[in-house]
Amino acid sequence: MTEPRKPLPRPAPESLPYWEAAAQHRLDMPHCQACDGFWFPPSRTCPHCTSADVDMKTVSGRGKVFSFVIYDRVYHPAFATEVPYAVALVELEEGPRLISNIVGIPAEQVRCDMPVAVVFDDVAENVSVPKFKPL
Amino acid sequence: MEMIEASRDLRDTCAIVGIGNSRLGKVPGVSSLDLIVEAMRNALDDAGLKASDVDGILCRGPDDVYSHHQMVGERLGINAKFSTTVTNGGASQILSVALAVMAIRHGLATTVICGYGRDAWSRTHANEEARVRNETRPPSQLPREFGPEYGYYSAAATHAFGATRHMHLYGTTKDHFGQIAVAFREHALRNPQAQMKKPLTLEEYHAQRSIVRPFGLYDCSLRSDAAGAVIVTSRARAKDLRQPPVVIKGFGTHNNTRGWFADDNMVTTAAKQSGERAYAMAGVGPRDVDTAQIYDCFTYMVLTQLEDYGFCKKGEGGDFVASGALRMDGALPTNTSGGQLSEAHAEGMLQLVEGARQMRHTYAADRQVRDAEIALVSGHGGNQVCHSTLILGRA
Ligand SMILES: [Zn+2]
Repeated sequence: MTEPRKPLPRPAPESLPYWEAAAQHRLDMPHCQACDGFWFPPSRTCPHCTSADVDMKTVSGRGKVFSFVIYDRVYHPAFATEVPYAVALVELEEGPRLISNIVGIPAEQVRCDMPVAVVFDDVAENVSVPKFKPL
Repeated sequence: MEMIEASRDLRDTCAIVGIGNSRLGKVPGVSSLDLIVEAMRNALDDAGLKASDVDGILCRGPDDVYSHHQMVGERLGINAKFSTTVTNGGASQILSVALAVMAIRHGLATTVICGYGRDAWSRTHANEEARVRNETRPPSQLPREFGPEYGYYSAAATHAFGATRHMHLYGTTKDHFGQIAVAFREHALRNPQAQMKKPLTLEEYHAQRSIVRPFGLYDCSLRSDAAGAVIVTSRARAKDLRQPPVVIKGFGTHNNTRGWFADDNMVTTAAKQSGERAYAMAGVGPRDVDTAQIYDCFTYMVLTQLEDYGFCKKGEGGDFVASGALRMDGALPTNTSGGQLSEAHAEGMLQLVEGARQMRHTYAADRQVRDAEIALVSGHGGNQVCHSTLILGRA
């Protein structure tokens, strides 16, 4: 009997560059050449100015916790040994907000507006998931 | 301003003339479509209409079926001049009524049936895996990345992000959320059809099993097999029908389609602009509202919508609910049938049903909001950012 495994991301075509960068422990965000804006999740039209002149750009990896929740209920058997765990909406310095886990501290110590920085969790061969730890 | 002037032309032009609901709660062995048709049959009987009198069908879809409205029409045995499904989640039911009014005013239909329901209790209790996942959406509609790898599941968590942020900004407490759960449970105990039958105290609320903090079990709405339906027609036709017409005074919608996680959408919701439009169409304001039926998928969503609708200021929702305002004898009796937290959850459809029933003044004194002349009904859904508002009155 093997332990249930956490789901791996199943990327949309436009997300592949993001996950390829993460596998190399780089946090890359979709970026607009026309207006210099960032956004998330990845898409091929800039939501700030609708330009199609977009690329991926490595960001600081620093941000703050905009909000968070702490799971006590198990919705997937692979997380049965993780509860209580924190899922946060992290706002990067560059602007985009993304869902992640806060690691390195007990879930109960996570706070809104807490400064955090990215770390990478190597979850499978060539798959790394960006997570955040307090600064 | 031109648009607001145009929408005022719709004020008081149509009415709800039939109201119905299906059996509520745990109704095993009945499909969501049959629950909807059960509610629609009850609405037709209530109105004294035959299915063949109806020439419009508007309902939410799809949960898991394609062209839902067609299947409803097939089961009612009718063709329709105007018929479609809307996919704004819990905002769809009021949106359906709004579309019905517009269709009737422009001659596309004369009598429109709107309804929705689902077999969410049966579906989430079909087997152990379904119970653990507690998910009403089919797997094809669920996120494939930016969620499951982090253990981010459930609408409870998505709304809990808003609750955490609101608590951080305004000092809102679990006690405030508890006041909402307790008030609606009291209302449900007066409603023999309600799924929840046992009293709930604030102490029991605080002792609840935690789900995804800050939410526990009693912050979350029910999984229900439940459906509701209403029939909309013109004021002129309504005169000849069996029931006192419930006048559609106004409606509004707003959709923060940039997303729940964008801007401040999780603490100031689309209810704000949707409400402003509905008030403008109806020619009333929050002080004129005698009873509110607020989309209560989670306790927090009631608190923030009460603020967004102007019943109190942003950030003061906690004090407002702690004052007892939501109770039957309070300043704003809210979710008077028990709401989705304690009556049954049909994605806002039962809020609409209850708002309309309150305007008929047919309840016994323990359930009737005394002298109520104006009811506000809210709908929220569509990835948390679609909102609709309906303001009902008496003829
Ligand atoms: Zn741009």
